[in-house]
Amino acid sequence: MTDYSIIGKRMPRVDSRAKVMGKARYTADLKLPGMLVGKILRSPHAHAKIVNIDTSKALALPGVKAVVTGADTEGVKWGVFAYTRDQQFIQTEKVRYIGDEVAGVAAVDEETALAALDLIHVEYEVLPAVFDPMTAMTTDAEPIHEEFPNNINIHVNIDTGSVDENFKKAYYIREDTFTAPEESYFHGEPYAVAARFDADDCLEIWMPNGGPHMKSKPLSNAFKIPLHKVKVRKITIGGAFGGRSEICPADYICALLAKKTGCPVKIVFTREENTIATRQGHAMITTHKTGVDKEGRVLARETTCYMDGGAYSSTGPIATSVPFLSMEQAYRMESVRYNGYRIYTNKPIRGMIRVHGRGFACGLDTQLDMIAEHLGIDPVEMRLRNSRQPGEFTSTGSQVWSCAMDETIKKAAAAANWHEKFGKLPPFHGIGIGTNSVQTGFPMGIRGGSQSFIKFNEDGEATVMSGVVDNGQGNENMLVQIAAEELGLLPEDIHLVSADTETTSSDPGSYSQVSTFVGGQAVKNAAANCRKKLFDVAAKILKTDPDKLTAKNRMIFVTDHPEKSVSIKKTVRVALLNFTSVNAEGGYWPRVDMKREWVSNPYGQMCEAFSFGTTIIEVKVDPDTGQVTVLNAVACQDVGKALNPLVLEGQFEGSVAMGGQGGMLTEYHDWREGRCLNPTMLEYKVPLACDMPEITGIIVESVDPRGPYGAKEAGMSIAMSAAQAYAGAVSNAIGVYMDSFPLTPDKIVAAIREKRQAVK
Amino acid sequence: MQTIDITLTVNDQQQTLPVKSNDTLLEVIRDYLDLTGSKEGCGEGVCGSCTVLLDGHPVRACLTLALEADGCAVTTVEGLADEDTLSPLQQSFIDHGAVQCGFCTPGMLISAKALLDENPSPDRQKLRQALSGNICRCTGYAKIVDAVAHAARPESGCPDCHTKDSGGDHD
Amino acid sequence: MRLPQFTYHSPDTLEGVLALLDEHRDNAGVLAGGTDLLVRMKHRLAVPKVLVSLKHLDTLSYIKETSEMVSIGAKTPIIDVIRSNRVQQQAPALGQACERIGAVSIQHFRGTIGGNILQDNRCIHYNQSQFHRTGRQPCHKDGGKICYAREEADRCNSTCQSDGAAALMALGAQLNLCSSKGERQVSLDAFYTTDGIHPFDMQPDELLTRIDIPIVPGAVSVYQRLSFRSAIDYPIVCAGVRLVPDPDDAGCIKSARIVVGAMGRSPLFLAKVSQSLAGKRFDDIAAVAQAGKDAMNTAAAFAAHNAGAALPYRQAMVETMVIRALELAAAQASMKIAR
Repeated sequence: MTDYSIIGKRMPRVDSRAKVMGKARYTADLKLPGMLVGKILRSPHAHAKIVNIDTSKALALPGVKAVVTGADTEGVKWGVFAYTRDQQFIQTEKVRYIGDEVAGVAAVDEETALAALDLIHVEYEVLPAVFDPMTAMTTDAEPIHEEFPNNINIHVNIDTGSVDENFKKAYYIREDTFTAPEESYFHGEPYAVAARFDADDCLEIWMPNGGPHMKSKPLSNAFKIPLHKVKVRKITIGGAFGGRSEICPADYICALLAKKTGCPVKIVFTREENTIATRQGHAMITTHKTGVDKEGRVLARETTCYMDGGAYSSTGPIATSVPFLSMEQAYRMESVRYNGYRIYTNKPIRGMIRVHGRGFACGLDTQLDMIAEHLGIDPVEMRLRNSRQPGEFTSTGSQVWSCAMDETIKKAAAAANWHEKFGKLPPFHGIGIGTNSVQTGFPMGIRGGSQSFIKFNEDGEATVMSGVVDNGQGNENMLVQIAAEELGLLPEDIHLVSADTETTSSDPGSYSQVSTFVGGQAVKNAAANCRKKLFDVAAKILKTDPDKLTAKNRMIFVTDHPEKSVSIKKTVRVALLNFTSVNAEGGYWPRVDMKREWVSNPYGQMCEAFSFGTTIIEVKVDPDTGQVTVLNAVACQDVGKALNPLVLEGQFEGSVAMGGQGGMLTEYHDWREGRCLNPTMLEYKVPLACDMPEITGIIVESVDPRGPYGAKEAGMSIAMSAAQAYAGAVSNAIGVYMDSFPLTPDKIVAAIREKRQAVK
Repeated sequence: MQTIDITLTVNDQQQTLPVKSNDTLLEVIRDYLDLTGSKEGCGEGVCGSCTVLLDGHPVRACLTLALEADGCAVTTVEGLADEDTLSPLQQSFIDHGAVQCGFCTPGMLISAKALLDENPSPDRQKLRQALSGNICRCTGYAKIVDAVAHAARPESGCPDCHTKDSGGDHD
Repeated sequence: MRLPQFTYHSPDTLEGVLALLDEHRDNAGVLAGGTDLLVRMKHRLAVPKVLVSLKHLDTLSYIKETSEMVSIGAKTPIIDVIRSNRVQQQAPALGQACERIGAVSIQHFRGTIGGNILQDNRCIHYNQSQFHRTGRQPCHKDGGKICYAREEADRCNSTCQSDGAAALMALGAQLNLCSSKGERQVSLDAFYTTDGIHPFDMQPDELLTRIDIPIVPGAVSVYQRLSFRSAIDYPIVCAGVRLVPDPDDAGCIKSARIVVGAMGRSPLFLAKVSQSLAGKRFDDIAAVAQAGKDAMNTAAAFAAHNAGAALPYRQAMVETMVIRALELAAAQASMKIAR
């Protein structure tokens, strides 16, 4: 194995010093001279026509500098795909959910801005609204979007053929339906955006984002200004979890207010706005029908999923596909048919989230456990019999080059003492296993690749330019580690210019678990090119061949004669004096099947690498109250190569909290006619320090042949598999297979009581 | 609206500030003093990102009127380090990877400091209790608990000490 | 979130506070720790024109004990109640309740015992932002004629989710209320209206100054509650019990007080169920089980679907909470006998 000096080491993150000192600035912390406070007027109705908007009273209020409505916009509709452009940033004709943007105001202070909102008079004609997908498909009422009859926004159909024939061959077939309501991100940081136009009419804008280049293009479209005039700036970001991936109407409204007033404007969301007016996770109703042979191997599977998409498309085609993809990557199936429907309802917009499709995934694993029990197979063995193997193709034709799924299952089972515990625990104690797989990078079209530029400074330190954004997961540190490793410098010698659309090249952002694989690889290539130039200079100084040099610890030396060395600083200075460039660029473009498309052609190489995770959870259930105590948590993932185990463990632990503890025990949204009843952390039960178990994280390294140093996605496979493991553990503890998630105490008590009744 | 002068000793610096009656302590330290380390994550006393020490005790700055703090000593995250020298608690957060997005970190550090000031060697369960008024969405609390435990007993392990004892508990 | 505007007073004396309350009456709000009131003000559920701060009334922060009672000043911080030996010995249920209030860094230092008792009733449909409450008919408490928690209800069904109040009612506590006209004592049992909009039988010029908990020789008390999270959570159901042993037969219950909380507009003192335990032995499992069932059947009717969890679950859990509290109290009693 290659001996790295920085890669693979437990390195404290470079961004944490500013954060522990309170010096890291997030968007809400920004202050610009003359800055105004922006606020957004949102629809109080789930579905209504806008008859008239009167802003005159608001405009007349002293201190109000501007009011904008749909009439002030260019009328551009936005969508992630050409065929999903259904959302205006300020509504002109009708509103489609409680929270839809209707107007924006900018005023000298918050009190005035809030008072102005109250003075905007909007006349609505309330329309019948639909709040659940099954009703939405059959209602005679006016569709939410005219272009989409029956409110069906997206239909993904995947069929590998031979499904019906294989069901006929099956030894045992089960069909079960599983449901789960919406969940939310609850990022630490509520959404915020600050914007101003500079002297050259360029828009300068700061906001939490999953990729600055993903923000600049829609903004340039919406304002009909050239792309270079939109400068998305770097800012510290307080969490994303998939919920910062897209443009937010507030970005546009804030910029529009800045344009109109000629002043900087800042909009800071309330916690409630962050919940209802950014994105949420989809509610789902999933039916899995699975046919297996006598040994429990899956011969045929048919899955139908109805997803509550809310009012707009968002990342609909992707969201409708990802739960299926995670399944087909993790588990072999001889044949499969999938019908995923994303349906519009008059509820907040659903997008990407860390645990994509808990109802889907937990249902699948629960059903595997049911089948295993019927056939007398241990759940761990059941998974090993169906697990993905390296070199194979998924059902839709992606080759999986690196895969250590079996190793994750076996190591997790060993660490959790599975075989000593499963079936042998006392009453109301249970143990459950979940396994899942996550994509490293989706086809992203023009912004699928990343490019980096590195320049040496005359003091021998290097500035690295990259479009990669850090949402809190540690991407900046990842880039620093890679650049330092490749250049032979120390982490403190690397200076990042990142996540800024003016100074960095196109990059897919932290979207689709791709930052390390694509953005990191771009920096690695740029640094390798840079090093090559350095070595050319150093070779002359050391009177040797560039191939014979190594760079480490700020020195360049002859590999076989380390005593022959020159400092990088001196090498750079010699290069500058000789007018020789030691700057370089590098890029990385994932080799995927560019003809693959989410809806029209869901076949071909999806992405370059797939990660695999197994989580095992042991619980104790209080049979009287239904409350669950987690006794043990083991999270094990094939991450390809751990670039920084300290950071990866943090991802694992956070994933168990969000996907498992919160996602499977306490977190869900409650509604009354489209009105979210628990938009804040008081009623939406995000786990606390006392709720969490201690977690054992195990890193498995399959060393992906295409990943940087062998690395691929890390963490999300744990979030998904943790949800499945929690579900399995609770079901195992109470002896009832649960089909409605999350497993709140009321459902657990009801299941226990029902079982007791049945026994009587 | 009229303003009233209050005196605050913020991070050992005494200041007189004109405030409005409806200004919260959080608004005053963030907007008037530009100490933006303390965050508003919910505005209603739940998330804990705005936790500061008021005369040594942890309080929610978003639910404390500035006027109520008149005459008090306030410690914010900016007051934990001695110039550029980090406190052992801050250093431990860095060493143990307890910081991810960092938004909850200032409040978490303040709650941890309040605990350690009063109880220099809490067990892990006490420690979890003391931090349970601070919501972290990134870490699952594991490395935060490690970091505070290590700061309490630096002799007990290396920067990556993994001496785990019994876990969380519901009741 | 911005607070509405108000005029702020922080009198140095009790008399000063009472004079202001007398002057401003319904327009005044009393600010102790602010952990309940300020949130409601941010949501514009309360918009007092005048805030009267108790900041300088340190004379209302104390825990005293006489042979008859433990007295707690209304402004005593929750943390002091938790740490008080007197409370732990004479009124353990109150200490247990206070430990569960909010979280260490929220309520324990700023929150006060008086504030906890007087925290407004809550409802998931009402305790929402101003934005949430627009575009729909206002509910009773919001000035309208609808109850979202219970169909067809002609009045407000908001729920009292105070931990402290349920425990104190079980302990038979009395409240001392002062106004500029004088002071009066009222038992917690008699302190509640049946109106969720104005849950307390208290005049706008009155101030809660003291809580008296009678000391009953040999009595044991326990508080149990259920929530979905380990902290920062209101109870979805809770129970406080106090059992007094027969002086002539320590194994026998002389009298019981069973209170169920978070199930109605006020904590519910279940007189009949309590009465059923008088004369029973502490280890009478059947009697305890029956009391749990009866408590559930009595309390269930008071609850509305407004505290987050499913209503049938909360109702069913009354039985569990009451039985657990009684069992723990009985265990305490037998330990006392053993000593």
